[in-house]
Amino acid sequence: MKLRRFRCGPLVLLLVLLQGCAYNSVLIAYPTQLADTKKALNSAEPKATIDKLADGINSRDGLLYAEEAGRVAQIAGDFAASKDFYQSAVQDYEKFDDKAVISLSDVGAKGSSLLVNDNVIPYRGPGYERILLHQYQALNYLFSGDMTGALVEVRRSNELQQIEQQRYESSSKTVQQMENGTVSAEMDRLSQASGNLTSSFLSAYSYYMTGLLHELLGEANDAFIDYRKAAQLAPDNSYIQQDLVRLAKALQMPQYDDFRQRWGDAPQPGANQGKVVFIVEQGFVPYKDSFGVPFTINGNWQTIALPTYRENYLTPGGDTINGLGTPLVTAPVVNIGALAITALKEQLPWILARQVARVYAKSEMARQAEGRDGQTVGSVLMQIFNVVTEQADRRSWLTLPAEAQIAHSYLNAGNYQINLLHGTTEIQVQRGKTTLVWVIDTGNVTRFYTRLI
Amino acid sequence: MKHFKLLMLMAMAIGLTACQSKVEYGDATEVETVNENFGSTDLQAITDKMVDSMMTFPSVVALTANSRPIIFVDSIKNKTSEHIDTESVTDSISNKLLRSGKFRFIDMTKVDSVRKQLDYQNNAGMVDPSTAIKFGRQIGAQYMLYGNLSSIVKQDGSTKDVYYKMTMRLMDLETGLIEWSDEKEIRKTRSKSFLGM
Repeated sequence: MKLRRFRCGPLVLLLVLLQGCAYNSVLIAYPTQLADTKKALNSAEPKATIDKLADGINSRDGLLYAEEAGRVAQIAGDFAASKDFYQSAVQDYEKFDDKAVISLSDVGAKGSSLLVNDNVIPYRGPGYERILLHQYQALNYLFSGDMTGALVEVRRSNELQQIEQQRYESSSKTVQQMENGTVSAEMDRLSQASGNLTSSFLSAYSYYMTGLLHELLGEANDAFIDYRKAAQLAPDNSYIQQDLVRLAKALQMPQYDDFRQRWGDAPQPGANQGKVVFIVEQGFVPYKDSFGVPFTINGNWQTIALPTYRENYLTPGGDTINGLGTPLVTAPVVNIGALAITALKEQLPWILARQVARVYAKSEMARQAEGRDGQTVGSVLMQIFNVVTEQADRRSWLTLPAEAQIAHSYLNAGNYQINLLHGTTEIQVQRGKTTLVWVIDTGNVTRFYTRLI
Repeated sequence: MKHFKLLMLMAMAIGLTACQSKVEYGDATEVETVNENFGSTDLQAITDKMVDSMMTFPSVVALTANSRPIIFVDSIKNKTSEHIDTESVTDSISNKLLRSGKFRFIDMTKVDSVRKQLDYQNNAGMVDPSTAIKFGRQIGAQYMLYGNLSSIVKQDGSTKDVYYKMTMRLMDLETGLIEWSDEKEIRKTRSKSFLGM
């Protein structure tokens, strides 16, 4: 009896420890926690849950909560608060960068993930989230009127795109071929669902935004370089093509003739005209679901839970902006859902490896708890513990938009009443200036933020 | 068992002393290497180099031989990927130049406050007109000091290399000629430790 009690000890300890984690998605799936936040964003009170999110910043997943809180404040138009939240997320990422190659706290988290699940490992987002973080931070600076700050964030975003590319190239070499049939089938399905995207972090959206900010702030040559990369990633976007032709002409680039023949000459502004640029973000990025993979250990069937995405996320068509004289149709520039799927697909081999190790560790714990005389209280508890804790890691930045579209046009100076999706707003166009209109649509509500630069 | 308890207590005591936070004064000119970001040592290195270079440059020596030229400092353009307070760099440089006694400065960041004060003195009806400072009596700057701070950041695995380059120039506002120019380069490399928390 004494011996049995002793064997229950570690289990009780683990359960006690987990109590503190209730908010940290170890036991409650992360998308469930964020459901209220998304509902609030889609209502007249977008910041209803921001205090709850801010509380999470001190937890193990502080990075994720800081990203969510920053985005919530941003959607609500509170750019100063959003800047602070994003800054905290940026610092978290930098802490990860500074960590030693073999970090004891990492080893500790991975160790306890062996007994519980992947949600115990502190959150570190996929590459595209980190790039978007700096891109959104640049918009925070821009909309608070700090152009120098915006350009700093743009440069960071550019640097990260390079670093993530290097990291991707070196990591993809070591990806092992997976031998589990169920997982391979799921990977194939994910490939199709994302429209066979090749990269999980390079998006035309980031390059277009950095190019646009460079151009607005008077660095046309840098803008040209970013627009070129954007055009490679979104080859069908006519707005990026126009920008490229226009800048190639202005900068007297040798590619000008080639671009003009391919896409035609770009429209030039009239004497009394200004430029309007629309960035339209729609919906919410899809959340991770889980799927079970059957597995045998010591002749017993076990199921492991892996994260996945359920639906297909193919790029939709454009939206129409009314009120500018002729209707302006937006063109897609990124499908963040597809980026998320591709990122998960790249991570699945490692998730599977960790999950398999965990199943072994858990079955070993169950066997030890069983003792000599067959079924005991400890063993039953252990089984329950294993079933409850066998959860896929479903954490990801969920307040991101599902997709983004762009459009731009030259208009005569004056005020325009525009209509787009579920909202309407008045914009001002000034001669020789650019009006940036940032539109965020959360499903039922459309919010507009404009700035004349 | 007794020994074990004692050991635990000792371990706890040691562990807890490490938790106490401590505040210490340090030397402001000490080399700072907390991380690879732009820091006080970089600022000091840039200031020293620029001031020394300008004060010893032959044409600037000739300019200051018989008069104290009036300079205004334009902001230094931050072209790095860090949020750096470049005003603090120009403050340090102009401070050192001013204290050398060879230059005089016009502070463009305070023009609005000065205008408000003169407006108050002349138009509020509160100040004795005979003591009020008149508009249009300030002396114009002869030279403009300006610069760029740029950086190149490279990262591969556990190594990160940051290169800063600060370029500064002194322009004669009348002729448009550059009277002095110099640059300061700084390179920092960070390699991650193999084992740590």
